[in-house]
Amino acid sequence: MNLKWGDALHTLGPSLIQGVGVVLEATIISFLLANLIGLLVAICRLSKLKISRGIFVTLVEIIRGTPLLVQLFYIYYVIPLLLDGLFESLGMSNPNIQFSALAAGIAGLSINYGAYISEVFRSAILTIDRGQKESGLALGFSARQVLRKIVIPQALRNSIPVLGNYLVMMIKDTSLLAVISVSELLLRTQTYASQTFETIESYTILAVVYLILSLPLSHIMKLIEKKFHISN
Amino acid sequence: MIETAPKMLEISNLSKNYGQNHVLKDVNLTVRQGEVVCIIGPSGSGKSTFLRCINLLEQPTAGKIYYREKNVLDHSLNVSAYRQKVGMVFQGYYLFAFKNVIDNITMAPISLLKKSRAEAEEEALTLLTKVGLANKKLVYPASLSGGQKQRVAIARALAMHPDLLLFDEPTSALDPELVGEVLKVMKNLADEGMTMVVVTHEMSFAREVADRVIFMEGGYIVEQGKPTEIFENPQNERTQKFLARYLK
Ligand SMILES: Nc1ncnc2c1ncn2[C@@H]1O[C@H](COP(=O)(O)OP(=O)(O)OP(=O)(O)O)[C@@H](O)[C@H]1O
Ligand SMILES: [Mg+2]
Repeated sequence: MNLKWGDALHTLGPSLIQGVGVVLEATIISFLLANLIGLLVAICRLSKLKISRGIFVTLVEIIRGTPLLVQLFYIYYVIPLLLDGLFESLGMSNPNIQFSALAAGIAGLSINYGAYISEVFRSAILTIDRGQKESGLALGFSARQVLRKIVIPQALRNSIPVLGNYLVMMIKDTSLLAVISVSELLLRTQTYASQTFETIESYTILAVVYLILSLPLSHIMKLIEKKFHISN
Repeated sequence: MIETAPKMLEISNLSKNYGQNHVLKDVNLTVRQGEVVCIIGPSGSGKSTFLRCINLLEQPTAGKIYYREKNVLDHSLNVSAYRQKVGMVFQGYYLFAFKNVIDNITMAPISLLKKSRAEAEEEALTLLTKVGLANKKLVYPASLSGGQKQRVAIARALAMHPDLLLFDEPTSALDPELVGEVLKVMKNLADEGMTMVVVTHEMSFAREVADRVIFMEGGYIVEQGKPTEIFENPQNERTQKFLARYLK
């Protein structure tokens, strides 16, 4: 076997460095949005309004019951068509709506992870000791203040270890954005490998790049978790 | 003297049902300013439920509660404002786990009484000194003993300048050697004139500190009177039985 590691590193390497930028951008924005969505959905699901609970339970079930890959296709290809139809029926001619691939990818990751994270927050909120709420009420805080100042801060802190795992998972899941043509790491590697037939070299390098991205993060999460156990 | 002090709390015909379970039945109680009322009674007799009805953590099924002549069960009452005046100390302390001692105490005064942080912290430190924990101000609740936690919980309640403090078995979760430090703080409060309603199994505390002792059983107030009357000459047979078990 004649492996061309030098060639692969030399040509694919710089391209992958750009790809890392895309991965980080997609991950950071999506992760922040996913947490925001997760918190809002968790709060709405705990609301006393039956309708609000019902709507959000259904939405979360739909997201969790379908693959992220399908959701990405849906957002990138289907939703623009639906919007076209809508605008046409409103009298606009040839609206031809399109999302950028990266924007669609970020939307898909945010919504998908938002649904899972909402469950994390919801159960974290539900497991806060009733006494914490009652002592807040007894001091004169309103129910809403108790939620905002006492329950949610504790629930968020208790969620940190699980959120860390989701962050590492999300970095790896950005590889799915390749299917909607985001030039992240996988797509760049695929392109290079199919042109040069340096298949072994390309995908090995790709795997190493993912490891370099996720291993330090997993390690940091472990440290945070440990610190967390001590302060609790 | 206390007999002529203004009425702080006037409760009449209070009852509370959980479905078919009638936990409080026609309870009447008047608490005057500066009075210390101790409630004793067997487990499940409704003591906690009674305290929790007073500050509306439970909604009474029927009856009236007046606080300084104001109807507490009126729907127009600002419940949060009322609770600011009626502090509560729980058996389980319930300090805010994610805040250190001083922040536990200053949180409510800063956001509810609109105190500046500096002023709230100065007051918190005075209160911590009073409960003997000034050196623990930056510590998190997890590293305090039960007795220390409960003293911080008392300081936290006091920081709201309540008119009335409710205690629900404040020492029942403590190791025996830690009970004394909490009771001492409570006795000091009583001596300073704080109005208190204390559910307790500490009979010597009730005997020494209470102006009035109430014996509850089965959701009723069975008997009440001065500590000497209740402990030395109980009239009701059920009170006698209960005390015989406790004062062995
Ligand atoms: N939220 C609730 N739902 C249903 N039943 C309840 C509830 N809270 C209390 N009870 C019942 O009410 C009765 C009185 O309870 P309560 O806690 O007031 O008694 P207690 O005198 O404080 O007892 P203890 O000394 O054990 O603390 C018990 O039979 C209890 O099971
Ligand atoms: Mg009780």
